[in-house]
Amino acid sequence: MNSRTMVILVVVLTGLMLLIYSQTRPTDNQQLTLRFHPKLGELPLVFDQYRYANPGGDGLFKIRDLQLFVSNLTLVGQDNRFVLPDSYHLLRFDLNEGWFDIDITYPADINVAAIELGIGVDPQANGTIKIAGDLDPNGRMAWSWDVGYKFLLLEGAIKIGEEFSPLVYHVGFDENYQVVQIPLDKKALQSSPAKINFSLDFMALFDQKTPFDMAQTSSVKFDRADAAFLAAGFSELLSLCDGSCD
Amino acid sequence: MLCFAVVLAGMLGGWWLRLQTPSTTPVSFSAPFVFGRFIIPQDNPLTVESIALGRRLFYDPKLSGNNQVSCATCHKQHLAFTDGLPHSIGVSGNPLPFNSMSLANLLWGPQLLFWNGRASSLEEQALQPIEHVDEMAQDLSLLLEELASDAVYHKMFAEAYGNVSLDAIAKALANFQRTLVSANSKYDQYLRGELNLSELEEQGRRLFMAHPDTKVSLRGGNCIDCHSQFLTGGFNTAFDGFNNNGLDDDATLAAGLAEVTGLDAHKGMFKTPTLRNIAVTAPYMHDGRFNTLEEVLAHYNGGIKRSSTLSPLILEADNVAQHQEDKISLNLTKQEERAIIAFLHTLTDKEFLTDERFSNPFTAKKDAP
Repeated sequence: MNSRTMVILVVVLTGLMLLIYSQTRPTDNQQLTLRFHPKLGELPLVFDQYRYANPGGDGLFKIRDLQLFVSNLTLVGQDNRFVLPDSYHLLRFDLNEGWFDIDITYPADINVAAIELGIGVDPQANGTIKIAGDLDPNGRMAWSWDVGYKFLLLEGAIKIGEEFSPLVYHVGFDENYQVVQIPLDKKALQSSPAKINFSLDFMALFDQKTPFDMAQTSSVKFDRADAAFLAAGFSELLSLCDGSCD
Repeated sequence: MLCFAVVLAGMLGGWWLRLQTPSTTPVSFSAPFVFGRFIIPQDNPLTVESIALGRRLFYDPKLSGNNQVSCATCHKQHLAFTDGLPHSIGVSGNPLPFNSMSLANLLWGPQLLFWNGRASSLEEQALQPIEHVDEMAQDLSLLLEELASDAVYHKMFAEAYGNVSLDAIAKALANFQRTLVSANSKYDQYLRGELNLSELEEQGRRLFMAHPDTKVSLRGGNCIDCHSQFLTGGFNTAFDGFNNNGLDDDATLAAGLAEVTGLDAHKGMFKTPTLRNIAVTAPYMHDGRFNTLEEVLAHYNGGIKRSSTLSPLILEADNVAQHQEDKISLNLTKQEERAIIAFLHTLTDKEFLTDERFSNPFTAKKDAP
């Protein structure tokens, strides 16, 4: 191989590598982490401890399992929106640090002003056995194919004196699905990588205008009125964390 | 110049690696849509060669210390890869603490293996029974020598993984087990719309799928709270596929999953098994304490024992308006028990139990696939 051939080869290879780089270089996307911190009123979520007061009656309750579906996560800009694809997220807090992260990569041209998401599973997906995101018809949150998914699973027990009763709250009728929108402080998005902390106050489901007596109604499953009562609290479930979350 | 050297080195490296890796035949694999996602490890693709090797290893008593016990000793195909015993018996003759689990549909459901979840993949699981002093009691270095000196194995390992190694043994056994898919039971045919269930089976299916709620007059067998609707096995997320189903009280509660996690909250929890082919996998439970499905139903219908980690779903599912403090029971009628058992029989997949691809290659017909 003479030097002329060598030079040509190097030039061609360099050009090829530049071409590959230009095709594969990262686009101008932004990264954002949404971190969800569970709590009950002023107290953080701690599993398996009788430490939470029954809002509507006597006794202390504990939580053994807690899972929540959120879906159709959307970043709302001034003039445009970004809908996360296959956006079905099963939030649970019994793993790792006790919070739940959703990592989002979104186009830089979205000037994010608010975040929008559905509490639960939208009726279209709830009525099918499609597999998308965390939706899994063989998963724990699936009731059965003709019923759909539990949006909320909260299981535990209540203790009144020396008496214990199981608590089973499963909420998931189509009409319980609620879309909430939370305005965001743009400063929070300027850090890199950006992270926004949300608080999920599960007591909001029970401590409503008329407080829910867990001793009186220790399970909610297929009764629509009971499910609607708890789901009314979905709109108060999510809020921006005031800084106490970190 | 440097750039050229790097590219050349990369090409040579790739060429050398290809020389070291056997050329294998990928297996195209499909499963019913309703079974959902599954994962094949990237470093152990399903190949014709690895599955054939895994099948031979699975049935070969050479894998045991006394050359008399194979994986198939405790996992017999006609019993949906169980052994019909309350406690399996291996090389030592000492009954093992646990009942042999079915190997159907291992690609789905809890990906933690064994009743207590102590292995996190089929590859990790594969060598443990071979080494276990009561199960197959094999010295692994001796096993490697034995297999390497066998001309048939030498060729099969070379074709599947390049050479004889413990890693290759584990991978081959894992891949064979991944192919054990049961998806043609009467229930599957019903799901595909090919037939109707009988009235009794359909009643049983509805009871199976329902958590009871007396407020809306819904009776339920509560099975679906632990056994998924299509796979009928445990859930695959985190530890959701492990449950305490009320077999023992606190005084006698076995460690179960807690043995692995160290958490008191997991005491008494065992892996929820698939109910596929359940009619042929007696005896039942992790310790084989129930001989018949009738005994199993009787347990859920009045025999449940209270303990600190008993699922609230079991405590609460009683099919009566007024919660009973003194007794934990589904309160099913005898007719409802029969209906659930009739549905469970629809999960038997005769094709799976006799499929030549899963059978003993040492005795199989020559023309078997």
